Amino acid sequence: MIVKVIKKIVSFVVILIILSFFVFLLLYLSPGDPAEKRLTSQGVAVTREMLDAERERMGLLRPFLVRYGEWLLSLVKGDFGVSFKDDMPVGPKLLNGLKNTSILALTSLFLSLVISFPLALLSAIRKNGIADHIIRFLSFIGNSLPNFLISILLMYFLCIKLKLFPVIASGSLQGLCMPVISLAIPMTARFVRQMRAEFLNQMNEDYCMGMRGRGVKSRYINLNIIRNAFGHIFTIIALQIGTLMGGSVVIETIFRWPGIGKLVMDSITARDYPVIMGFVLIMGTIYMLINQLSDVLHHFIDPRTNL
Amino acid sequence: MDENMNAVPCLAEDATADGAVWTITLKDGVAFSNGNPLTAEMVVRNLQRLAQVNERFAYLGDFDMQAVDEKTLTIDTKEIYPTLKNELANPEFGMMDLDATTDFDNDPVCTGPFVISKFQPEGDVEVVRNENYWGGNVILDGAIFYYMEEDDPKLLAMQGGEIDCYNSVSSAALAVYKQEPDKYKVVSIPGARLQFYILNEERLDDAVREAITLIVDKDKIASYMEGTVSAAVGPFNPAAPYGQVTVPAVDVAKAKKILEEDGYSLGADGVYEKNGQKLNIKIAYYSARSLDTIATLLQEQFAEVGIGVTLRNEEDPDATYIADKDFDLALYCMIADRGGDPLYFIESTLKDGAYYDCGGFNDDHCEELINQLKYETDTAKRAELANEIIQIAIDDNAFGYVGLFNSTTVLRPGVSGFAENIPFDFYGIDANTTIG
Repeated sequence: MIVKVIKKIVSFVVILIILSFFVFLLLYLSPGDPAEKRLTSQGVAVTREMLDAERERMGLLRPFLVRYGEWLLSLVKGDFGVSFKDDMPVGPKLLNGLKNTSILALTSLFLSLVISFPLALLSAIRKNGIADHIIRFLSFIGNSLPNFLISILLMYFLCIKLKLFPVIASGSLQGLCMPVISLAIPMTARFVRQMRAEFLNQMNEDYCMGMRGRGVKSRYINLNIIRNAFGHIFTIIALQIGTLMGGSVVIETIFRWPGIGKLVMDSITARDYPVIMGFVLIMGTIYMLINQLSDVLHHFIDPRTNL
Repeated sequence: MDENMNAVPCLAEDATADGAVWTITLKDGVAFSNGNPLTAEMVVRNLQRLAQVNERFAYLGDFDMQAVDEKTLTIDTKEIYPTLKNELANPEFGMMDLDATTDFDNDPVCTGPFVISKFQPEGDVEVVRNENYWGGNVILDGAIFYYMEEDDPKLLAMQGGEIDCYNSVSSAALAVYKQEPDKYKVVSIPGARLQFYILNEERLDDAVREAITLIVDKDKIASYMEGTVSAAVGPFNPAAPYGQVTVPAVDVAKAKKILEEDGYSLGADGVYEKNGQKLNIKIAYYSARSLDTIATLLQEQFAEVGIGVTLRNEEDPDATYIADKDFDLALYCMIADRGGDPLYFIESTLKDGAYYDCGGFNDDHCEELINQLKYETDTAKRAELANEIIQIAIDDNAFGYVGLFNSTTVLRPGVSGFAENIPFDFYGIDANTTIG
């Protein structure tokens, strides 16, 4: 077991190093110059001499491998470096963004699960009934509405028409409501469809038919269905967490939520390499951990799967 | 900088030049928010610090700067430097109490009517009245600046009464505000941000370039942008003395005639061709500052005449088409007037070897005039030179100046003094700002 764990950790580290190397390489190869972005951020032109001096100062003229090596070395020492954009340390920036995004992601995930789980079950049990049709119709709408549209519509109705929330609400619990609802609506719709499909899958399994044939009460059949569907549902949730952590940029921008998605988008525009690299590393780690966790849980629920 | 783009006294009484030596006299009583007086020596140290920390102002390090007494300093620019006064009006030249400031990034001690009480990088900023303000009474108790990037939430926050004013209003929001003039006051003036295009002289011959100048209908483009942009003539505000240039009127028939005289003939598909080669223009642009809209409108205007268009969209123009010069027509947007003087833009785009002189424009007479402009100290003469230089670029069909972004501010009735009449985007509230 211990050997297995050590092997896993080593493979994690190797994957992260490979990942960081390729991201560094891609950033190096992609057009765009951090020095120029830094000097012209207000829309003013600069001279070639200024640019060259700034590149020199920022260490951009040194060879690729030297720069990557230095970055990796300071990372091992626990230093994420300093942002190209504003000379602030990258570590606290990322941590702060990660904290805010985690709050947003986990709250909306929880809300989505609380709503989608019973709806999906109901929809599956009452397949082709009225409830199923209504739920499927709603989830179809929720799935097709883009995030930004939901946000603006919510803002318009809840803030302007009903005056339940302020448009500008930051940091507080009140400020959390609107972005969470905006994120939760499409996510709930997606979960409902995915979970419903999984429940229906289970219902068509032989064991279900067998139970029905033996006259087992549907309550017990449903409990079995839920238990057996859990493994797949965990995978669906695990995949969604990854998307949530990096993919809520639009919501973060509209609701002024200082999360990591927005931070990294701004950093990409500004070619702020240290922040992008830090982000990739943290996200890589989170993805791998979540996947691993989902595998482990899956294994406990269904011991037939291998770790 | 004032409403007419002139540098006006603020911390300094005056700045006068004698050859290459500038003498700056500070106003009496100017003090930092902690009560410490602003001395000439502190100004010199601030300028030296700026040269060190900001590469854009590294040139200050070459100047000899000295505090003569408490209130007077001299700056020896080594050679004549007529635009120093305008340069000093840049927001980067704000004065800090270097001895009392401990956190330069978040909490500088400065001279303005407000002091920062809460600062979040890329977040909200709160300010309160500077009780030690040297310039007299400050009307507002304080202010909160919300960091909002999206247009729609700004509009909704304004409608919900959560904010009192903001600038850079989008055209969609502008339409909403204009419907309710009693609830919103909109002030729109031509700003300093310019949309322009560069024609590649190495790929387009004179006739095609001339035809392009005659085809591009700037008024149509501006009207499509619904009040966010004013059609430009030259790169500068047409009200400025250095914004007096002329461009030929739109004349599609003449453009066609020029193309035909140059050997082009309309093909069966309605596109001009010469020696079996279709006339196709490669437009390079990036999707910001409405340049994507302009690219599409140009495509349409060219198509009507019989010129094909290939679009090249890049995220980062400087690292792509400006550098590799793979374009026939390159769209770009920058602040053309940084401080009430034409030299900066002219040097950035027209001077030989300049970063944005990437279309192969080269004119000896123009180069000579730019050198004259660099050292000319008389303002009227500077304007005359600038007009002559820009006219050469226009007549050579090397550049096309499409639109000047309007500086548009929306305010609640009774709110005033949010720099709504000043074309530069770096001003906001001051001591006289009032919310009625």
